[in-house]
Amino acid sequence: MSAEKLVVVEDEEHLAEVIADNLELEGYEVEVVIDGLAALQRLRREPAPALVLLDVMLPGMDGFTICETLRREGHNMPILFLTARSGLDDRVKGLELGGDDFMAKPFDLRELMLRVRAILKRATWFNGPSPVGDVLALGPARVDFKRFLAIVDGREIQLSEKETMILRCLAEKPGEVVARAEILERVWGYDAFPTERTIDNFIVRLRRLLEPDPQSPRYIHTVRGTGYRLTP
Amino acid sequence: MDSTRRKLYSYVAVVALYLLVFGWWLFFFYHQSDFLLRKVTAQGVTVPGDVEGALRTATDESMRMFVFEGGFLGLLLLASVALVVRSLQKELAVHRQQRNFLSAVTHELKSPIASAKLYVESLQLGRAEGEKRERYLRHAHQDLDRLQKMVESLLATARMTTTGPDVQVRELDLAGEAREIAAELGHDPQTSTAKLELELAGPLPVRADPLALRTILRNLVSNAVKYAGPAPRVKVKVERRGREALLVVRDFGPGLKGADPRRIFDAFVRGGDENVRTRPGVGLGLFLVAELARAQGGDARAVTGLEGGGFAVEVTLPASGKDSQS
Repeated sequence: MSAEKLVVVEDEEHLAEVIADNLELEGYEVEVVIDGLAALQRLRREPAPALVLLDVMLPGMDGFTICETLRREGHNMPILFLTARSGLDDRVKGLELGGDDFMAKPFDLRELMLRVRAILKRATWFNGPSPVGDVLALGPARVDFKRFLAIVDGREIQLSEKETMILRCLAEKPGEVVARAEILERVWGYDAFPTERTIDNFIVRLRRLLEPDPQSPRYIHTVRGTGYRLTP
Repeated sequence: MDSTRRKLYSYVAVVALYLLVFGWWLFFFYHQSDFLLRKVTAQGVTVPGDVEGALRTATDESMRMFVFEGGFLGLLLLASVALVVRSLQKELAVHRQQRNFLSAVTHELKSPIASAKLYVESLQLGRAEGEKRERYLRHAHQDLDRLQKMVESLLATARMTTTGPDVQVRELDLAGEAREIAAELGHDPQTSTAKLELELAGPLPVRADPLALRTILRNLVSNAVKYAGPAPRVKVKVERRGREALLVVRDFGPGLKGADPRRIFDAFVRGGDENVRTRPGVGLGLFLVAELARAQGGDARAVTGLEGGGFAVEVTLPASGKDSQS
């Protein structure tokens, strides 16, 4: 089996070197890009990397804009932000723009390696075959896990990667309560988000898309104080 | 930032309200005589022509007075709003500068700490042996040097803005000092990539503080290398001009690219958005140069529009001894 390919986007030469060396020691194949615009061009090209480690402050184009552009264009490779900016606003912004995790500099080497492994594990779960198949039926609506699409009344609506992951997470345990913590763990990694409540915003949007009456949901039920239950 | 915008919108709302009220009163005064005559005639009273004429003249006069006073008040209000808008724009610029400064300092402090920490951790975990181990040690050392320089710059700036620069001037040879520092910079990883050209015409005695002079030269050369483009070429020239000694450090890069040459000596001024930073630094180098030059009785100024491109900083210092050219 060939090594998983990772891209490190970091303009600090020393930091890029030591991160790349350590990832290579873990058995990954690493490519370093030092400029924001060059990174965007690289990440638009095939083959897509298994994971991008992305700095925020970069020459040419900042990391947030790179992430936002990639997601808008439908590139769904996992992104781990590595940045000197550790404020809550920056963390939330990075994750809401489609980042998968966020680490503030300076960070611990072992923690970085653990997070890389965790993101790749989540990606493997999500990209692998689902026990419930590639298409979920919710009444007349259909959700295509592979194409990130919801088909409602014949209309195709694009879902984000996170929305699709949440639905798949719920669909794999039909009729069972899935705790918010479990959803966060499988979709983001537990400590990536500041609060479990953030997930509720995603559920609200999914209900608006898929439920005939979002006020009285028929498929995605809230189990007060615990999590959510999907009844297809 | 949001509070500044709120203030700006509040002032715009006040002006809009004033114009609305003024317009309504103008309309009222303009038609005042018509309103009165309509009310009176509605009660069956016939108004004689001379009374109607006198009434219209009286209301026209009061309207003229209102227009004059209201217009004057309006002008005052507009002038005050213009001042407020200007000061708010400045406030927004300061906010932007502070945010940029915070981002730059955060990046400049945390990046070398992050890499030094990872190098040390890799060594502790036995993940680097032989040549790699030596390289990691060397790079960690360079990171700590970079961190030390940044902390020293920040402390020097804090000292200067609170107690003023502390300089002890004595007689020095500017040309000799420049030669010595240029040799040191040739071994510095941050500046060694540059082609450093010296134009030193013999010894040039100046009254200066050796440490301050060293900081000035180091900052000017580092700055020039940063902005000199991919194959940096930097020229250091020392000459006497009348009673002054002139130190010129020039790069051959793209120049100031629209930046204000008067503001580049202000603290924490860096061009552009720090999110898309292209060069290291926090915007203190030229501030320290100018402050130290002034503290020694000299000055610093930017020179733009140079033939062959690039940008130069000219520092003057009081020369000692006789001018051989005069």
